[in-house]
Amino acid sequence: MSGGYNEIHPEPTTFWSKYIISFDHKVIAKQFMWYGIFFLGLGGMMALLIRWTLTYPGQPFPIIGNLLFPHSAGVVPPDSYAMLFTMHGTIMIFYAITPLLIGAFGNYCIPLMIGARDMAFPMLNMLSFWFAFLSGIVLVASLLLPLGAAAGGWTSYPTLSTMIGSPGAGQTLWCVAIFLFGVSSTMGAVNYVTTVITLRAPGMGYFDMPLTIWGLWLTAILNAIFVPVLGAGVILLTMDRVMGTTFFLAGASATSGSGDPVLFQHVFWIFGHPEVYILILPAWGIVSDLLSFFSRKPAFGAKSTALAMTAVTILSTLVYGHHMFTTQMSPLLTQSFMTLTMTISIPSAIFFANWLGTIWKGSIRFDSPMLFSLGVVFVFGLGGLTGLHLGTVSTDIYLHDTYFVVGHFHYTMAASVLLGGYAGLYFWFPKMFGRMMNETLAKIHFWGTMIPLNGIFFGMLMIGYGGMHRRIYNPFVYESLQRLIPINTLVTQSAILMGAFQIVFVINLIWSLYKGKKAPNNPWNVGTLEWTIPSPPVHHNYDVIPVVKCGPHELGNPNLKNGRDFQYQTEELVQGPA
Amino acid sequence: MKRSELQNNLAMTIALISAAMLFVTLFMGYAVYRSSAEAWPPVGMAHVSLTLPFLSTIFIAVSSWFCFQVKNLVAINDLKRANRNLNLTMLMGVGFMISQSFLWLQLKESGIYVTSGIFASVMYGFTWIHAVHVIGGLLALVYLKIVLRPKTNELLQKTINVERFWHFLGIVWFAMFMGMFVF
Ligand code: HEM
Ligand SMILES: [Cu+2]
Repeated sequence: MSGGYNEIHPEPTTFWSKYIISFDHKVIAKQFMWYGIFFLGLGGMMALLIRWTLTYPGQPFPIIGNLLFPHSAGVVPPDSYAMLFTMHGTIMIFYAITPLLIGAFGNYCIPLMIGARDMAFPMLNMLSFWFAFLSGIVLVASLLLPLGAAAGGWTSYPTLSTMIGSPGAGQTLWCVAIFLFGVSSTMGAVNYVTTVITLRAPGMGYFDMPLTIWGLWLTAILNAIFVPVLGAGVILLTMDRVMGTTFFLAGASATSGSGDPVLFQHVFWIFGHPEVYILILPAWGIVSDLLSFFSRKPAFGAKSTALAMTAVTILSTLVYGHHMFTTQMSPLLTQSFMTLTMTISIPSAIFFANWLGTIWKGSIRFDSPMLFSLGVVFVFGLGGLTGLHLGTVSTDIYLHDTYFVVGHFHYTMAASVLLGGYAGLYFWFPKMFGRMMNETLAKIHFWGTMIPLNGIFFGMLMIGYGGMHRRIYNPFVYESLQRLIPINTLVTQSAILMGAFQIVFVINLIWSLYKGKKAPNNPWNVGTLEWTIPSPPVHHNYDVIPVVKCGPHELGNPNLKNGRDFQYQTEELVQGPA
Repeated sequence: MKRSELQNNLAMTIALISAAMLFVTLFMGYAVYRSSAEAWPPVGMAHVSLTLPFLSTIFIAVSSWFCFQVKNLVAINDLKRANRNLNLTMLMGVGFMISQSFLWLQLKESGIYVTSGIFASVMYGFTWIHAVHVIGGLLALVYLKIVLRPKTNELLQKTINVERFWHFLGIVWFAMFMGMFVF
């Protein structure tokens, strides 16, 4: 490994070195972006197939059904249904959200917002993308296997995921893909953490970093520590499948001496709970910044927001047991995990209150990044509240493994991260591509996403509360679930609607890339470092490394005299008359 | 400290923490298996003789010592002797792998197959995972041998990184030796 040390690298000249094996963090960010958007589309299609099956069982999926399932006349068969929800979860978490929020925004924002010329280790960065790429190919290839892809859920619990539950190579390739992806994430994490620590522009203390960088940095720390835990889990699972070990096999399925299927659940959630925060922290950071930028006001309690995010990061390592309340753990343990889980509410409430404090009495500009950020405040608030029902042992016993859980994590994770990701994309698109996106289409996209989204996920909360189990194939056959059919239908129709509105986004994206209005250096009038340089930035970002003199949220200062209502981080903080 | 040194040290530390977490997870699993087993090794399976694991420990400890010398010699720019010590490091590393292979043979001969249940899973599985890392470490040593030239940029930094990884593998092995074979 040898570092970049913030020198100016010569600009690559060939197509190959410029766009494919690129060492430039801005190009790698775009690679991750397209990768993430591709998988977002694929995962989204799978979601529609799942929803269709739940609401119109036995009916062929419109248009592409016959192509995908020729042997069942276009109807999703039960075994494919299991593969669909497994791959949907896996793809959305690892192959859509992670590359978009961490791969794309991490790569794009970290060097630019801290005033660096690139990551600390550009080559490692390039490798990180190509490992992710390889992993994606393995995963997609597993869809084409004769026995199909993995079908044990994104959590891949044994015994479902052992040779007994999932014969065929699908689950094995799933393990391989996840391991490769883990290698990619770890490489990225090493790079991000080192870059933030060593390449901040002169004068930039940790609390002068934008909160976006705080979020990405904390995420990288969690990634470095916990992704290898899942790595160990999938290695052992692969050995069980390929070499005949019995780490996760028990009882009659183990030949002699007993392995432990529940151990996998522990390993999975020791990783898995930090993982959900790995996904949400970048979105929290982005939203914390954008709320301030578009309220034309300093972020309320920015320091305490950063510290609260840090506290959540630390606590998130101690609560994983709340996913396993129903595995017969001792009451002493369930109650300890419950208490620790509730403790997370305190820092969460702090930064949530800070968000509200930031927009309170602001002169809010309802541009699309702001709309999406406000959307995050709403959906994350709802999702967080439902976490309390699940974190409480006595209610979780009933709600566990129902659609209430599915609704909860879609609100906290899917909805919040999706909206946060869109907010970031609309916000940084001008910097990334030098063109503005169309604001009208963006607003249509926002409302077309926000309203159906709540139909989907609130509907899920309700049917879950009404008793519908997750991962079932046909709710119509259970008498107790028949009264939920109308809500199920609402969920599915909302999903189709929301899917349709994503087309608006794709059109806007492609159109703006080529035909969008040319972007000025600083279209949103904010003061963080990336807006001091041209859109798009030159290859080495900064001709002269900037010197930071104030924080990232200096907006609406009454002492500002130059006709602007904000100041750049490179400017001395304006003071009032003494 | 120069910024480049700081970056290297940080990155290597984080990478080693990641790698350590993988092994920590395995040890955690081991603790669960061992503490929930009625007898360890299970009834009908003999204790694994300490001879080969002990030999492995000697090999990897001595190789770590040579590796330490390599770094010291690179630091005073005595590349000739550094190279000789690097050869010895690699030799001892290969010795470690050979002693491990004999260990696997011995297990097999005493009727403990990979498929013989959780005790065998742990014995084979964990040593395999470690051995794969040792092969990675040997490749890193080969890389170091290739770049061990006066003209190489940041040679000392590169040597230190490889040395740290090699010591890390030794420490993990020592933990396995104590936890799985001695006690
Ligand atoms: C605000 C505090 C939160 C609390 C108290 C909480 C609590 C819980 C609990 C107890 C469960 C297990 C439910 C069960 O299986 O019975 C759960 C599931 C889940 N939560 Fe949360 N949660 C919180 C926030 C979040 C956030 C911020 C995210 C993601 C960004 C998230 C993502 C998930 C996921 C993915 C699952 C379910 C995974 C699965 O079983 O497939 N949660 N949550
Ligand atoms: Cu959790």
